[in-house]
Amino acid sequence: MIPLYGFLEGDTIGLVVLADADDTVAVLAGKLQAAARLRAAIDGPITVLYEGKPIDLESTVSEIRMQPLGRFDVRRGPTA
Amino acid sequence: MLKRDEWLDLARKLDWELSYVAEKDAFPEVQSGRPWLPAAAWAGWDEPFRTSYPEYVAGQHDKEASVAAVRDAVGRVEDFQRLPRGWLEGLKLHAATLPLAEFAAVVGSLRGARFGRDSAWRSAALLGALDEMRHTQIPLLLMHDLVRWDPQFDWTHKLFHTNNWVAIAARHLSDELLLASDAIEFAIATNFVFETGFTNVQFVGLSALAHGVGDKMFEKMVGSIQSDEARHAQIGAPVLATVVKHDRRYAQYLLDKWFWRSWLLFAIVTGFSMDYLTPLEHRQSSFKEFMHEWVLDQFLRSLDEFGLQRPWYWDIFLEGLDNYHHMVYASAYSYRASVWFNFVVPGPRERAWLREKYPSSWPEYDPIWQRITERWRAADPGNDFAVHGTAIVSFCDLCQLVLSNGTPRANAANILDHGGRRYIFCSRPCRWIFEQEPERYAAHRDVVKRVLAGEAPANLVALVQRYFGLDYDTWGKDAFGGDYPWLERRPA
Repeated sequence: MIPLYGFLEGDTIGLVVLADADDTVAVLAGKLQAAARLRAAIDGPITVLYEGKPIDLESTVSEIRMQPLGRFDVRRGPTA
Repeated sequence: MLKRDEWLDLARKLDWELSYVAEKDAFPEVQSGRPWLPAAAWAGWDEPFRTSYPEYVAGQHDKEASVAAVRDAVGRVEDFQRLPRGWLEGLKLHAATLPLAEFAAVVGSLRGARFGRDSAWRSAALLGALDEMRHTQIPLLLMHDLVRWDPQFDWTHKLFHTNNWVAIAARHLSDELLLASDAIEFAIATNFVFETGFTNVQFVGLSALAHGVGDKMFEKMVGSIQSDEARHAQIGAPVLATVVKHDRRYAQYLLDKWFWRSWLLFAIVTGFSMDYLTPLEHRQSSFKEFMHEWVLDQFLRSLDEFGLQRPWYWDIFLEGLDNYHHMVYASAYSYRASVWFNFVVPGPRERAWLREKYPSSWPEYDPIWQRITERWRAADPGNDFAVHGTAIVSFCDLCQLVLSNGTPRANAANILDHGGRRYIFCSRPCRWIFEQEPERYAAHRDVVKRVLAGEAPANLVALVQRYFGLDYDTWGKDAFGGDYPWLERRPA
């Protein structure tokens, strides 16, 4: 398990999300959205950033080389 | 026979040339602070109150009698039970954060009383230490009577003795500000920035609100404390003036650092009460308006007076005035079982007021409260955990508060790799403070790092109960159990 800091656009706080190395970025984004849904939700397409850069939703956590305690963001709208 | 003013100067200005020990040994930099200057540089030190010990004792006696009289008249449990529910929750928050921090300020003041570089400074600091002892005892005494009625008031004494996340943040601040700082840093950080700069918003602004809701005891308590603060806070300005003269850059650094750290604390402790927990009909101004009136105008005048600049993060701070306490309140509401006081959901009238007071930022917060309202609408009254977060939240490696700086659109958290470890900060100013003196902060572990190290449980309920020190009777709930007159429930 890799602990990551997740930030959902529209939310008021960063959450700790435990990622599996095999999780796709889409699954990881889903974990954050589930954890934050009391306060915020994104309907429609999303963009995920890792340490400020957009990443492919189908890639896995290990492929992206996400490091423990790294930051990812889930934002509204499709990746440009 | 000397006149009072002639005698007072003789009694206060008692410094002499040391011959048996070197001045640097009697007043080492590690305790007295930097810049280390010869005694002559401090010889003109003075403050306007110029109080003698007999005058101090007589004045404090009168104040104590006055507080006791109000306590006898309106300090019973029944008097508190008549107060609005939201206000009582703000009272629990203040009651817990105040007294033991004041007790730590006794230590800081005593360091000034021994290591301050002028005898008049040392005399004023000694009276300041006695003040802080009083500020510890008054809230402990007043709230103790309420514990049998509501066990959350027990946290008035308990908070600082726990590993609750608020206690970790409060200790991180007060250990550095009050216990560990040298005499110069204490005078500038505590007496000048914290007390002269910020406590007005607490002691004047909140006191006015207490008057409005009919909490005569709180009004009297903070008024009495403020009369002491106004005196010993005067230690700060003449210390700052001397430091500015000899090391302007260091003076600017201390101001920038402590304005930011003080701001984060007051935004939560005072911002929650003013904009959320005080009933709407008793609110006079928003927290932002109070900050402008009681903090910013005076602080900016002081900067001009000393020829100092606004902190480099001034634009970030101004954005925070519109956002930070809203970010933290919504976050804390959804993790209310992790603290010792209850929360109130802003209803339609409160949200309209907040929209009027915060036109640029509130549109980002309204959907959050709409979602929380919808969750309550689908839940049974009193079923708090149906409207509660379950994930582990994240904390800043400097201030130890939740990562809730910036805005809902753009959280300001940022990462730093230092010395083989990864740190995360809620804001650029917190990161900047860390980077100025990393050796001072690097070894401290926030709650998340403690969980990852196995020191604290990862399960939220276990964390709240076993590590934060709360149980069902004391953990925070919705003050109304989600049962608001304006909230119509959907039939099942």
